[in-house]
Amino acid sequence: MNAERHAFLLVGSPRRGKSTSAALGRYLGDRLAEQGWWTGRAFLYGLIGNAERERDLLGTLREVDLVVLAAPLYVDSLPAVVTRFLELWARDIADCTDPPRSSLTAILNCGFPEAEHNHVALAICRRFAHETGLGWCRGLALGGGEAFGGRELDQVGGMARHARRALELAAAALAAGEHIPDAAVELMARPIVPRRIYQWIGNRSWRVKARRAGTLAELRARPYEANS
Amino acid sequence: MEQHSAVVLDGSEAGDVGAAQVRRVLEDELRNQGWRVDVYAPRELEIAPCVGCFNCWVKTPGRCENEDDSQAIAAAMISSELTVFLTPVTFGGYSSLLKRALDRVICLVSPFFTRIHGEVHHQRRYPSSPYLLGVGVADEVDSSAAGIFSTLLERNAINLHAPGHAAAVVRRATAADAMRVALQHLLTASGVPS
Ligand SMILES: Cc1cc2nc3c(=O)[nH]c(=O)nc-3n(C[C@H](O)[C@H](O)[C@H](O)COP(=O)(O)O)c2cc1C
Repeated sequence: MNAERHAFLLVGSPRRGKSTSAALGRYLGDRLAEQGWWTGRAFLYGLIGNAERERDLLGTLREVDLVVLAAPLYVDSLPAVVTRFLELWARDIADCTDPPRSSLTAILNCGFPEAEHNHVALAICRRFAHETGLGWCRGLALGGGEAFGGRELDQVGGMARHARRALELAAAALAAGEHIPDAAVELMARPIVPRRIYQWIGNRSWRVKARRAGTLAELRARPYEANS
Repeated sequence: MEQHSAVVLDGSEAGDVGAAQVRRVLEDELRNQGWRVDVYAPRELEIAPCVGCFNCWVKTPGRCENEDDSQAIAAAMISSELTVFLTPVTFGGYSSLLKRALDRVICLVSPFFTRIHGEVHHQRRYPSSPYLLGVGVADEVDSSAAGIFSTLLERNAINLHAPGHAAAVVRRATAADAMRVALQHLLTASGVPS
């Protein structure tokens, strides 16, 4: 490998390229590329579980300077497939005689409007870095990520302005070999829209989707209730 | 008299002797206290990863349309009075095996939002939910990992509307008697009626 620095984006959403995770990760990757970084990418869904592709990925990760994990929040923590990947990666790092050379950052997004829901999952990422000896560059947490609907951040308009600025600040710091600054963390955590409005739009959108699916009357069904 | 029902989700891998020992003591203690215990070990089951489609909220409300063993787990959990997450502590969180099952049970809550302690969460779907117990298994108890573990269980308890919860990390090498005492304390701390 040459002196160019390498960042590798891992997308941990089953929606792959159409996910908010991918959009956030791509925006950061593009900013790093502008600073002369080489950037690669993989989708963990579809890859984890395939031994050959897992081996290839782990081999690649031994060579890169920065790993960007972009994932949704599932049940207050990382999705199962992302967790499985971390288990495999930790084993690979432990099997390697040289200490790991890369650093890790994470960009997490969740459905609830408060970014704080992501904090336990970020703590898990930080703990992973600590246990494996990877550098930890801090992470970013976005609330209400479902509102971006996986669109490129440039196409989301004003709603994504804080996220874009946060990722720009993060990219500048990472490219300089620094941790993600507080200003980026704070910007990313800013509510996309006021909470009350997010809640109202969210509730309405479930009804709209259910009406389309012809299930509006059953939305509160309890299929596992005794005698149902 | 009808027995109280407890569900244990065992997220350990095959060959994890320490986790198997914790599970034995846990099952034994629960049965001694009069519980009926059903154990589900994802490593022995067919559970596909969640694909994030939300069809379990919209298309087939309350049930994931992707048929495998996750439906039985969802049904057992919501019918139980106590659900135990038994798992190797994995970077402070749950193992991927346990997580695979948990990602598939969001059908147990409603898609609609509500506020709990000022934060947005989902409304309950069922009138009652089980108490939650988190039993983490580790070679050594690390306070930072144990802190993440109990916060995670607490967050799950809010989202799943558990009436009470408690979490602890136990060392794999703990002697059975000490383990039993630790589990008794945990059950008491969760507030679950015995
Ligand atoms: C199985 C499952 C569990 C989820 N759990 C949570 C949760 O605990 N808290 C939350 O705020 N959002 C939760 N969400 C919502 C996602 O985090 C949210 O939809 C996110 O924007 C998806 O991002 P993506 O497009 O990158 O996949 C969950 C979604 C799914 C499918």
